[in-house]
Amino acid sequence: MRTYVTLVWAVTRKDLLVEFRTYERLTAMGAFAVLVGVLFNFSIDTAVVRPQDIAAALIWMTIIFGGMLGMGRTFRLEEEDGALAGILQSPIPLHALYLGKVLGNFILLSVMATLVFFVFGLFFSLSFSGNPVILVAIVGLGVLGFVSLTTLFSAMATRSSMGESLLPVLVFPLLVPVLVYGATATQRLFAGRPVVEVGGNLRMLAAFAIIFTVAGAGLFRFVIEE
Amino acid sequence: MSFGLEAVGLVRTFGGLRAVDGVSFQLQPGELLTVFGPNGAGKTTLLRMLAGVMRPNSGHVRVAGAPADVASRDWRHRVGIVSHQSLLYGQLTTEENLRFYGRLFRLDDLKTRIPERLASMGLSDRTRTPVRELSRGLKQRVALARALLHDPEVVLLDEPYTGLDPHASAVLREQLTSLKDGRRTVVLVTHNLKQGLELSDRVAIQVQGRFSSVTDSASLDLAELEALYQAAVENPA
Repeated sequence: MRTYVTLVWAVTRKDLLVEFRTYERLTAMGAFAVLVGVLFNFSIDTAVVRPQDIAAALIWMTIIFGGMLGMGRTFRLEEEDGALAGILQSPIPLHALYLGKVLGNFILLSVMATLVFFVFGLFFSLSFSGNPVILVAIVGLGVLGFVSLTTLFSAMATRSSMGESLLPVLVFPLLVPVLVYGATATQRLFAGRPVVEVGGNLRMLAAFAIIFTVAGAGLFRFVIEE
Repeated sequence: MSFGLEAVGLVRTFGGLRAVDGVSFQLQPGELLTVFGPNGAGKTTLLRMLAGVMRPNSGHVRVAGAPADVASRDWRHRVGIVSHQSLLYGQLTTEENLRFYGRLFRLDDLKTRIPERLASMGLSDRTRTPVRELSRGLKQRVALARALLHDPEVVLLDEPYTGLDPHASAVLREQLTSLKDGRRTVVLVTHNLKQGLELSDRVAIQVQGRFSSVTDSASLDLAELEALYQAAVENPA
């Protein structure tokens, strides 16, 4: 078990090391998050709409679209000088490779999600003090479901002739549950509703995160092997 | 008796094209086979199947007598591959690249093993250099250090001289010569008849996915090999 975790972490560590040398994906995702936050701040007439009422949907939309910018490039780097062939020739189990990639993407997208909440909190005067632990759980599970799915499909898209542009087409229909349950739960927390009202959403998000991760780990070899 | 590397009836198709069409050979431990062939002959596809990166449609590979099934991963400890691509991460240093691959191969003595491998390739002063800043020749030596890091019994070399100037080629040739230690089984794929013949114990010419001939290199000089190659390419079996 310890060896397996070491293998998973080796992949994650390498991905993060590469990212923090280039900031390629974080820059793209972060710039998108800030841009969307600023645009919505200036485009919403606060006399007609209370920003708090639509913040949850906008936040999740920003996380999903911004995240897509970064996740689409998950395997591009591996293809640059044939590094993926080097990994595939090594004895690492392919589900460990997948989980390492998922963990790396989870950390990167969590950084981006934190930035999104910060930007929207700043512009929309949101308060996260009500149930911060539940909010973190909602975002964490939503992000895990999202990266589990996009990591799998990113591997598939990279190997297709359409490349990254194929990713949203494949992934968006499957992401609907994450988006709906995540936005609904976040909205209820922003509205100060009791925690019990988001319990069902939280369970659904957890179920999707687990299903997508387990299915992704099982299916990854069919996507990545030639 | 177990061979160092054995391929039996390997076939790989892409759509209607049979890129590798029934290739079989057996190599003893310590033997070096050079595979020549024109572009599109299926040499790289063959090597990818030998490395377990690609699944054959039929046929199988055995490494030191053990079946080299693509789905199984443990036998990969026994194989190292060098390609015309470096298989390295340009953003990481040479040491970080080797450390990453060392972890994938579950090597636990990386603190001593990595400096040793880099020193053997004349790269001791490049440990902290990002791979993208290295010349093509140095990068290829790092690639060889990476392939040999886990001390594999079988080494697969796919056009390792591609893009190298004459000096870098000569340096790499020295490194490859050192692979002939009587223990490792090596398959080298190259277009360069002279370089391939110098190193090999046996030569094969692959045309349209098939081995048209497999010959002991001791019985060939360069002119004979060129004649054999021309005949095989112009009149494929």
